[in-house]
Amino acid sequence: MDRPVEPGSDRDLLARLAAGEREALAPLMERHYRRLYRLSLSYLRNADDALDAVQETFVKAFQNAGRWDGSADAGPWLSRIAINVAIDRYRRARRRQATFSPLGETDHDETMAGGEPSPERHALGSEVGRRIASALRGLPEKQRAVFVLRHYQEMSLEEIGESLGMRLGTVKSNLHRAVHRLRERLEGLRP
Amino acid sequence: MILEHLRFRQRVSLLALGALAGSERAETDGHVARCERCRREVEALRALHETLLADPARSAEPDLPLPALVARVEAKVTETLAGRRARRAWALGAGLPAAAAAVLAAGLLLPRLVSRLLPRPAGSPTAEVVSPEAPGVSAAAMARLERTVAREQTARYLTDAGDVLVAVAAAPSDCDREDERVDVGAASARSRELLARRALVVDAAPQSVASARPVLDDVEQALREVASLESCVRRRDVERLRDDVERRRLLMRIRLMTRELEG
Repeated sequence: MDRPVEPGSDRDLLARLAAGEREALAPLMERHYRRLYRLSLSYLRNADDALDAVQETFVKAFQNAGRWDGSADAGPWLSRIAINVAIDRYRRARRRQATFSPLGETDHDETMAGGEPSPERHALGSEVGRRIASALRGLPEKQRAVFVLRHYQEMSLEEIGESLGMRLGTVKSNLHRAVHRLRERLEGLRP
Repeated sequence: MILEHLRFRQRVSLLALGALAGSERAETDGHVARCERCRREVEALRALHETLLADPARSAEPDLPLPALVARVEAKVTETLAGRRARRAWALGAGLPAAAAAVLAAGLLLPRLVSRLLPRPAGSPTAEVVSPEAPGVSAAAMARLERTVAREQTARYLTDAGDVLVAVAAAPSDCDREDERVDVGAASARSRELLARRALVVDAAPQSVASARPVLDDVEQALREVASLESCVRRRDVERLRDDVERRRLLMRIRLMTRELEG
């Protein structure tokens, strides 16, 4: 039997979005945008890119709300969209860099960020933040995505596999490799 | 002991991250209790975990206030919906002249077909002698009309085929990131539909679209390749197909031929 839909719940809001009711966006965003911003920022390591990724995530959520089956919570569903948006954005940026900066690999943060540094960028620019960002950027794409979903979103290994279309064994081996690479790169760093 | 240690190496990392549960966790805990080296490993990885908890990204606040972000998303949604409506309107608009021509042609051709199929009373005049089915329309006018309809239908077929090839070439979404596979299921199904339509729209009046034959043959070959793809296909297969379409300059030739057919 279907669960009753509480007004204002994620289920209710997604059902309203599926019916094309745009007013349901604001309450849904209010509930999830910080978490999705942090997820995107953890992966992309750039405040502007992360904001754009959050925006794209909610646009996709609006467009695909009708496909959400309602059997799971909306949070992991939104996280799944967000990490895939972040991966796609990162790939596109890397392709652009390869096209326009053929002479060498430039730093993603420096290349992508622009304008005056915000307090957020100052925070990310702290020694710990810089070292972690650099270590994460050094991870291969799959290891980075798996690690971010585990460490920053505390997803289970099964949920990570579902979000990234990976087998459970692959999730485990990627997480294991990621954590050992990070350990090498962050040797001696203390919070 | 070394073999057992190697067997548990990956699980020890996962245990330190708190990612194991159930029997897997219990087994690994048991191993760690017996393995001094593993205990040191767990401690080191937990220290790393603590360090990573200090990442400012974990508690970062977006630069943009929520109402501004909502406004941006709403604007993008509006833009997307407007784009969809425009495409639908365009599709309807583009379809209308052809549909009107088809209705007109059907209206004119139907009596002729019916008169041929129904048994004639003995002694009735043949169609070659008298043409009672289309009073006022000459045979030449009828031929022109049939030619126009055939060419318009072929132009639409080519446009639709071009859309399928563009969809395949424009980086389809991943269906299996791990194996670098992409989803071409919709394009593949559409190709099969178009190949079925080809026989109806192109082969029905070959003389009317003779000039388009080389493009039609190349398009048919490309569609057959797309139709033969599984729905979740290796990215390099799609890239090979895209290269082939580019090498033959097929999209440009489709555009030029469509214009020519539409007059």
